[in-house]
Amino acid sequence: MTTNTARNTAATAAGTGPAARSGGTSVLLQDLTRAFGATRALDGLSIEIAPGELVALLGPSGCGKTTALRIVAGFETADTGSVLVDGKDISSVPASRRDMGMVFQSYSLFPNMPALDNVAFGLRMRKIGASQRRKRAAELLDMVGLAPQARQYPHQLSGGQQQRVALARALAIEPRVLLLDEPLSALDAKVRLQLREQIRTLQQRLGTTTLFVTHDQEEALSMADRVGVMRQGKLEQIAAPDELYQNPATAFVAEFVGVMNRIPGELQGSGNVTALGSTVPVRGQAPDGATAVDVLVRPEGLAMEVRANGNGIVTTRTFLGSVTRVGVLLDGDIAVQVDKPSTEAAALAPGSSVSLSLPAEPVHVAPRQTADS
Amino acid sequence: MAAIARPREAGRQEAGPRRSYPVWRWVILIVAGVYFLVPLFAALRFAGIGAFGSVISETGFTSSLGLSVRLAIVTTVVTIVLMLPTAVYVHLRLPKLRRLLEGITILPIVIPPVVLIVGVLQIAPNFLKSTPYLLALEYVILAMPFAYRAIDAGLRALDLKTIVEASSSLGAGWISTLWRVVMPNLRTAVLSAVVLTVALVLGEFTMASLALFQTFPVWIVVNDQTSGQVSVAASLLALFVTWLFLLLITMIGTRQARRTGGGQVTLFVVARQQTRGD
Repeated sequence: MTTNTARNTAATAAGTGPAARSGGTSVLLQDLTRAFGATRALDGLSIEIAPGELVALLGPSGCGKTTALRIVAGFETADTGSVLVDGKDISSVPASRRDMGMVFQSYSLFPNMPALDNVAFGLRMRKIGASQRRKRAAELLDMVGLAPQARQYPHQLSGGQQQRVALARALAIEPRVLLLDEPLSALDAKVRLQLREQIRTLQQRLGTTTLFVTHDQEEALSMADRVGVMRQGKLEQIAAPDELYQNPATAFVAEFVGVMNRIPGELQGSGNVTALGSTVPVRGQAPDGATAVDVLVRPEGLAMEVRANGNGIVTTRTFLGSVTRVGVLLDGDIAVQVDKPSTEAAALAPGSSVSLSLPAEPVHVAPRQTADS
Repeated sequence: MAAIARPREAGRQEAGPRRSYPVWRWVILIVAGVYFLVPLFAALRFAGIGAFGSVISETGFTSSLGLSVRLAIVTTVVTIVLMLPTAVYVHLRLPKLRRLLEGITILPIVIPPVVLIVGVLQIAPNFLKSTPYLLALEYVILAMPFAYRAIDAGLRALDLKTIVEASSSLGAGWISTLWRVVMPNLRTAVLSAVVLTVALVLGEFTMASLALFQTFPVWIVVNDQTSGQVSVAASLLALFVTWLFLLLITMIGTRQARRTGGGQVTLFVVARQQTRGD
């Protein structure tokens, strides 16, 4: 991909890709439900994906994100609800006729075929002539930077190379929708980062509508146009990465995406919460019942100043480049993290007494987390 | 002596761990070799080299060997055609039934062949009783434990669900997936099943004898009454030909496995090579 050839090939491929061919494909997941025994994997999931968009489904294990992807792929059937591609219900169409390329979490290359034949397999199934499909497969391999490995068998390739071949194979059929089922999770950190960028670049060049499932928030936030956070089969929020980070709709999203501090607070009757000596409005819905809650604030959201007899003591200091993450132990043994510009953090030596306060804007609150919970 | 010995020991330690072959391993190898080779050598001496020349011209040799080979081919084809899709289907769609299937396939080992053939001869229609291919159907049952286990081992070594789904997402139907993706990756396992089935058919005596068909093993026993030396020579010949056949299949399977990273042809274990770790 770093070569000119690769770029040219990518451009060629883009010219024949789905975006160029049909202007992209829209996907609509409509009120999907799916239960496995007593477990509801999906509970009324609805998502609309615009043509050429990359949507990531993010959530903890068992939240239903992979089930949703497999229903779109045709490997699972929904109990109720439907999947519409370009407005047509494809619920009854078998997986082999859905025209969707998929990259799996585990290595899925056919062990009996070299890389080139793996990439050409989908074209063979579409009855494309031998010379044409070999040419096309070679182009795709070149596009993912693996032209020299064309004759190698999967067991001769590294994990990262295998996933790149799998990506080329999925793209070779010019799929209407590209489905990525945690394709990077089995790879080491460095390869994961490289492949992440490669997938995003290719997806943008080809304009292929893509649904990407991951439990890695960094992956989701860095690659997707929009990220859908799922919990217990439901979509908590779907938004652009910055929107999701800055304006989380629920306490779960706030805590799941990015680093979040929990600071004990008391709910006031007027929709306010008091913590760290200040009272601020509550964002969204406060938990019913108890007045004892945790206030959720990001490390960059807390104000901190050095003050003798303050409400906290600096315990650690981690340099992260332009910012330094400062660990503070608040009264009551509450550990929090505060981000400060590195130029200001020099004065915050471990052992310094500091005073922390809440931001003036509304904050999310969650039920109080005790040591047992 | 001690002064000389020490540097040698140190040198060994620096060279890293070495594979040691304790004496008892050689003892076991020699005892096993004697156990297997002495009877063969005795049989060879008894038969004499001249008997090998007259085996082929012996009455019934060609027809009985031909029958056994035909039965081996039919049995192998029927076994693979029945066993392979069944095992694949159970692995993919009914994984909970795997243990049950394992239990069912082990039954022919528990039930003696004599019971099976007597039972079948009681209930089989006449048109089946009159054809030796009745034996092939019986042999399919006898081969089931071995064939199923060989194929099952191959399926366990594959990430079957993922490659089938990958194939399906690329547009392949069920038959294309089975033929182009599953079968080639089970070549080693299928070869193992073939090896076991052929060996079983070429050596089976009880059923053929009770059903009154003169397969090669039956011919050897019958011929033993009139010409002991020729019979022993035929036995040895059959043994070597079978070995050669098995060796050939094993070599083909191993060559294929080396190329694609598949496992070696062994009877019940097909170990797949790992992906490079980087």
